[in-house]
Amino acid sequence: MKKLTSLFAALAWSLGALGALGTLTMAHAADQDLVARGQYLARAGDCMACHSAAGKPAYAGGLAIDSGHGIIYSTNITPDKEHGIGNYSEAQFATAVRHGVRADGTQLYPAMPYPSYAKVSDEDIHALYTYFMQGVAPVASTPPASSMSFPFNLRWGMKLWNVFFANDKPFKEQDGWSAEIKRGAYLVEGLGHCGSCHTPRGVAMNEKASDSSQAQFLSGGELNGWAVPSLRGMPHWSAQDIVDYLQTGRNKTASVAGEMSLVVEHSTSHLTRQDLQAMAAYLKSLSAAPARSGSVIAQGPEATTRKLTAARDLTLGERLYLDNCAACHFVNGKGAPGIFPALDGASVVNADNPSALLHVILAGARTPSTEKAPSILVMPGFAHRLSDQETAALASFVRQGWSNQAGKVSEREAGKLRAGLDKH
Amino acid sequence: MTSKFSPSRRAVLAATAAAVPLVSLPLLKQAKADGLEGIELRHYKPVFFNDAQWLFILAACDRLIPAEGRGPGALETNVPVFIDQQLHAGLGNDIYQQGPHQPDAPATLGFQIPYAPQDVYRIGIALTQQLSQQQHGKPFEQLEAKDKDALLTALQKNGVDFAALGETAMKPSQFFGQLLGDTKNGYLADPMYGGNKDMKAWVAIGFPGARAAYTEWVDQHNVKYPLGPVSLSGKRA
Amino acid sequence: MPDITNDDVDVVIVGLGWAGSLMAIELAQAGLKVRALERGPDRPPEDFAYPKPADQYGYATRNKVFATPRDAALTVRYNTAQQALPTRKWGAFAPGTGVGGSGLHWTAVLIRATPTDLKLKTYADQAYKHARLDPEMRIKDFPFTWNEIEPHYDFFDKVCGLSGNTGNLRGKLQPGGDPFEGPRSNPYPLPALHDTYNNTLFADVARKLGYHPFPNPSANVSQAWTNPYGAQIAPCNYCGFCSKYPCLNYSKASPQTTILDVVKRLPNFDYKVNANVIRVDLHADKKTARGVTYVDENMKEVFQPAKIVILSSFQFANVRLMLLSGIGKPYDPITETGVIGRNYAFLSNGGATLFFKDKHFNSFATAGATGEMFNDISPGNFDDGIKLGFIGGAKIHSSQASGAPIGTALPPGTPSWGRGWKEGMIDWYDHSMKISITTTCMSYRGHFLDLDPNYKDPWGQPLLRMTFDWRQNELKLQRYLRDIVLKISRELNPDHMSESFLALDSHWDITKYVSTHNVGGAIMGDSPRDSALNKYLQSWDVHNVFVPGGNAFPQNFQANPTATIGAITLMAAHAIKTQYLKNPGPLVQA
Repeated sequence: MKKLTSLFAALAWSLGALGALGTLTMAHAADQDLVARGQYLARAGDCMACHSAAGKPAYAGGLAIDSGHGIIYSTNITPDKEHGIGNYSEAQFATAVRHGVRADGTQLYPAMPYPSYAKVSDEDIHALYTYFMQGVAPVASTPPASSMSFPFNLRWGMKLWNVFFANDKPFKEQDGWSAEIKRGAYLVEGLGHCGSCHTPRGVAMNEKASDSSQAQFLSGGELNGWAVPSLRGMPHWSAQDIVDYLQTGRNKTASVAGEMSLVVEHSTSHLTRQDLQAMAAYLKSLSAAPARSGSVIAQGPEATTRKLTAARDLTLGERLYLDNCAACHFVNGKGAPGIFPALDGASVVNADNPSALLHVILAGARTPSTEKAPSILVMPGFAHRLSDQETAALASFVRQGWSNQAGKVSEREAGKLRAGLDKH
Repeated sequence: MTSKFSPSRRAVLAATAAAVPLVSLPLLKQAKADGLEGIELRHYKPVFFNDAQWLFILAACDRLIPAEGRGPGALETNVPVFIDQQLHAGLGNDIYQQGPHQPDAPATLGFQIPYAPQDVYRIGIALTQQLSQQQHGKPFEQLEAKDKDALLTALQKNGVDFAALGETAMKPSQFFGQLLGDTKNGYLADPMYGGNKDMKAWVAIGFPGARAAYTEWVDQHNVKYPLGPVSLSGKRA
Repeated sequence: MPDITNDDVDVVIVGLGWAGSLMAIELAQAGLKVRALERGPDRPPEDFAYPKPADQYGYATRNKVFATPRDAALTVRYNTAQQALPTRKWGAFAPGTGVGGSGLHWTAVLIRATPTDLKLKTYADQAYKHARLDPEMRIKDFPFTWNEIEPHYDFFDKVCGLSGNTGNLRGKLQPGGDPFEGPRSNPYPLPALHDTYNNTLFADVARKLGYHPFPNPSANVSQAWTNPYGAQIAPCNYCGFCSKYPCLNYSKASPQTTILDVVKRLPNFDYKVNANVIRVDLHADKKTARGVTYVDENMKEVFQPAKIVILSSFQFANVRLMLLSGIGKPYDPITETGVIGRNYAFLSNGGATLFFKDKHFNSFATAGATGEMFNDISPGNFDDGIKLGFIGGAKIHSSQASGAPIGTALPPGTPSWGRGWKEGMIDWYDHSMKISITTTCMSYRGHFLDLDPNYKDPWGQPLLRMTFDWRQNELKLQRYLRDIVLKISRELNPDHMSESFLALDSHWDITKYVSTHNVGGAIMGDSPRDSALNKYLQSWDVHNVFVPGGNAFPQNFQANPTATIGAITLMAAHAIKTQYLKNPGPLVQA
């Protein structure tokens, strides 16, 4: 099960059926390009993240999404006429994708990110529709019905929600954008639906902003206990770093962890280099949040490296670093380019909210295998080796070692995060 | 004779029925479950050895790596726990056991006796106890230290004869070799296997344990490494 | 009749170690439908995530990732007059098993044979024409030239991120490398690993005495590396748990780090584990194979049809499979007819351990391949062998593969137990270094492999029988090398020293670990009269069976075999792709 806030639900194992997707073609020759385009756009939209479930055929739905108020099951969007969307016209498909309304008039829950998909162009809707009708194998199975608790089980309530919170405006180009940035914006704001995780949400779980005209768009937030970084400007990464990360889950200093691993694996690693460059250019063009005024004084790279090398009179955090982390991240905190992430200067280390860092320390991380970088690199979790007190000491050390300037972590915070892990 | 370790050692060596049956260790739900690492030797009830064999093992290990002198001894480091656990957990189940066996093959052709380690111990302990009775009228564990050492040496060098006691397949040196090898393994292995308690052997010799990260040390030639060991479970010394 | 018959594949690969993995990726990337069958378990990276491999007792003492003698024993005898006895416990060698094979846990010294090594018979016929070598010796040339094999050596070096100092770049000698290596088309991909203290002490003396030491060429890589397949290897952290251990930080070149993540992405490749191949099934005319039969984990017999069969299950397992399957004529040492089992060879080692009470070696801070060596004593590069009547040579090196404490060497006279042993450990742990030899080993008429008549494996099949012992050639070589090692040792002036070399009357002691560099038994050659395989590792008798592995070597050179095994496998894969597929049949006319 996945929480609603985790919209890119984990696919536990690769879907064997997906291997067949590329070879399925019931389209006429003339439509084949369109189907291929639709397939590409479905990757950009990451439809399979929710509409495919482990062990089930592609796009047949059935993924359980824990909304916090009950379970939402994703629907069958194969072209099966009885169990899927085989009877949908293109207009009905467009209404579902862009406005969250099913062919029978029922409202979809915004687990389906229709507020983002509202920005998808008519051309792309047409290609997607063609792909789902002709490029996907029909599957004759109906997933379980969603079971939300009262009053969320009253779908007409979604109409109200949409009135207040849904922004179903189409994509709008800003003045001064280059063609590349415009393309990047279209992908990020629309099919990419990056805002679903990277934009903070209000009390009604609505995204607080929906496009680059609003300063909170992509300014970061929290997801399932993870701190989600801001994507605005991304001052610590070059455009190439962003492209590499989206394409392979790793760049010269960072490595993907958490939900984003699946996004890379199933969605962004399948996009063209050009499209990824466009997305990077767009993100770099957004005004960054002002840098936090640091009250923490960094220890300094030379001082930390020297102390760890000498290995004398170590604090608990320093000792724990040598006993657990230095094997890959080394005493200079720099890791190895493209393979072991750097800790010195890392955004996951320096985030105000230490939850992502704690998550990685306790549960580890794993790069996806991608076309351009096929190696699966696994960082083990250290939960079995560290008490809460040790976890806090280690994280605190890392957050203030070398040039890092983040606050300490308490034992209570570490314990809380560990407890959250055990639940899943 | 007193030694700095004598209170617990004496208690261990004298303990018989006092041993608390060790049904299962309470696995506390915390980061580092102790497994075999938290065992107190005097409270440990063996799972492979019977009580009589256990007394022999305690006494033999206590001479093979004694308490006297610098460094921890086998009892202080729970080596007998290691041996008992290893035999219980299938030590030797990788040996090719199909016959026919040729026990008198030259030593350079390797292990050829029809025994698993469990048999080696069972038979070896029984025969050694017989020899002890023959020579001294007492079981091994009740001998003076120098007599224990002499009997162990005789086993090691085949100065005594198992064949005379009816054992034609195994030589005393083979039993001794198994016992000594397992004793040293238990002394120096990671504590998760039940021996090397609290990494005391590693601390004594200066081995850093499972840290396995020395990029910044490989260039520091002839500089004494200052840091104590870490175990696989993450314990520090 | 098999219980199950699988779907057809183009290529079935028996054994997913180094050779099997290279074949898998090369043939699958060429579009063939490839299935690998591995007798052992899968070996995913979670199994050896840090710090799990840092466990000497589990991996090095209990052989956690090795085959067991229970399942994979051989029998051994010194000569045909004796009854062979099983290797009930491993000793001199220990085969791997599982995905990755021994490539998962090898020491990662990656070094080529020399051009002279590859043409040893040609060299011996000329250099020893006035000397008397053992008339039972049966050395042969490899059936390819340096120029044919070099591009494949080069590619495999890059696959593995070879780290070291280039010695001979296209004929021009380079400082700091091995002046005796064959010319390379490209420099080493990565710089050498850092030297440990013992390395520098040894190398300084070696240089002073006129030898040419260089860092052990290493596939524990020195920097982050992306190989030609796109796979990534990380920089080694000198963790000290290398030889016999899976790598805990992705820095040892292995099938896992260099190939498997890439080939697993291909939809036309799959593999099965716990699948023990018991024979290759031939068509009635015995000219081609139709597939293989294996026993799965539920003890069912499964037939895997295939158009091409690759036997890559390790040197002696390959030979055994050929014997069990009737591929090629078994060797008869009396009549010297037949080829399967012929030209079996091993290697020897030895050396001195030097103890210094005031030196800290930090031997736990080391990579598997850490060391300095020199190849001055190698065929073609020194004359003493000709004068003294032996052929061969040795790597002379100071390596420290591990500082883990079980088995720590102690000065001569230290008691083996008791207070003296305990205090000896405290006084001498980490105060010693080794100077070692790793020698060549020639082939002889009477050293061979065949099927044992008395002992069987758990699947009911006869064990492989190994007939081998030391001959005077290798023993004289040992005594010669001893003098050199002792000379170097004396220069270093240790407080104590112990030595271990073979004597002129030594028998092979199978209880002491040497190395799992067993070679020969199904050798490559120019003629089916005295070889089992042609230069493309293709069976002379069954043209769709290829047998990559150390079995192909007609005798053993002093360099570690993996580099050459990788190269000949790649050359064979290339021949399959470019020649065999178009025109299935013998690639070389006998």
